[in-house]
Amino acid sequence: MKYVDLAWRFIGSSFMWFFFGSIGLLLSLFVFPFLFLFVRDPNTRKVAARKLIAAIFRAFMWAASNLGVFSFNVTGMENRDPVGGQLILANHPTLIDVVLLLSVLPQVDCVVKEAVIRNPFMRASVTTANYISNREPSDLLNECVERLEHGASLLLFPEGTRSTIDRPLRFKLGAAEVAIRSQAQILPIIIDCRPRFLAKHEPWYSIPAIRPHFNVRILPPMPVEQVVGGRLARRHARHALNDALVSLFSAELS
Amino acid sequence: MDSNELYSRIKSILIDQFEVDAAAISMEANLYDELEIDSIDAVDLLVQLKELTGKKIPPEDFKDVRTIGDVLNALTAQ
Repeated sequence: MKYVDLAWRFIGSSFMWFFFGSIGLLLSLFVFPFLFLFVRDPNTRKVAARKLIAAIFRAFMWAASNLGVFSFNVTGMENRDPVGGQLILANHPTLIDVVLLLSVLPQVDCVVKEAVIRNPFMRASVTTANYISNREPSDLLNECVERLEHGASLLLFPEGTRSTIDRPLRFKLGAAEVAIRSQAQILPIIIDCRPRFLAKHEPWYSIPAIRPHFNVRILPPMPVEQVVGGRLARRHARHALNDALVSLFSAELS
Repeated sequence: MDSNELYSRIKSILIDQFEVDAAAISMEANLYDELEIDSIDAVDLLVQLKELTGKKIPPEDFKDVRTIGDVLNALTAQ
């Protein structure tokens, strides 16, 4: 019975990834080029592209949970400001965290690896959605602050990459720096996936013994001033805020 | 700009903006361990050096930079 369950989840996963890849390819070839042709206003195009991406991600989440590949639940949606202006910070345990988060937070800005922007399957969608490139570190910081100042909500994974298993949580200073420079409200999101699934250095076909469950908690906003007190010099402030963030996430995840 | 002049400009940036103790600065001083420059400062420093010299150290190359001497080498290598 155990093997039947494993085999089923393996088939489900394979089907899910195949489906996901095909949709990405089809959209890049047939949908995004037309969005470019027929929607002249870049902002309307951006909103449309993000709606489309969120719809695909929702379909992916729906398919995966109905096929029994994994299950998930999200709490604390009321903590999100639908108007925007929030810096959303999440830990990054699995390959599909961004799929999960964008499926419930469709219009947020996020940072995309340069390699993804150059990937022909994803290029059209991420550029139309006007996500931020991580190519130049200095431009990246400025761009993040600017988007928040213009009222957008921005999603960052402060670890910079997926979590390293069995190592204490470490955040890059960039997220704290963006928070301090923009004075945006921080919305912490805790992603707790058990058992371990699609983690760093783990291939997609490695199927855990029991069905993984994602418990996603959107915590109440954490105002920056409360942590840094507004008195410290900026470089001390970012270390203080970073330490506070790491302790908050570590405590919530333990 | 020769490397002596460049060295003194880097020194003054470190002292004025990053609150580094002047006595700790030397060609061999490690930016991260001894001078307590963090990754955000490093990005700032790169931007200012680019404005100063018109030369840009690619972020990939800056990963290998450890000392002030390495910064000078990276700038004069181009």
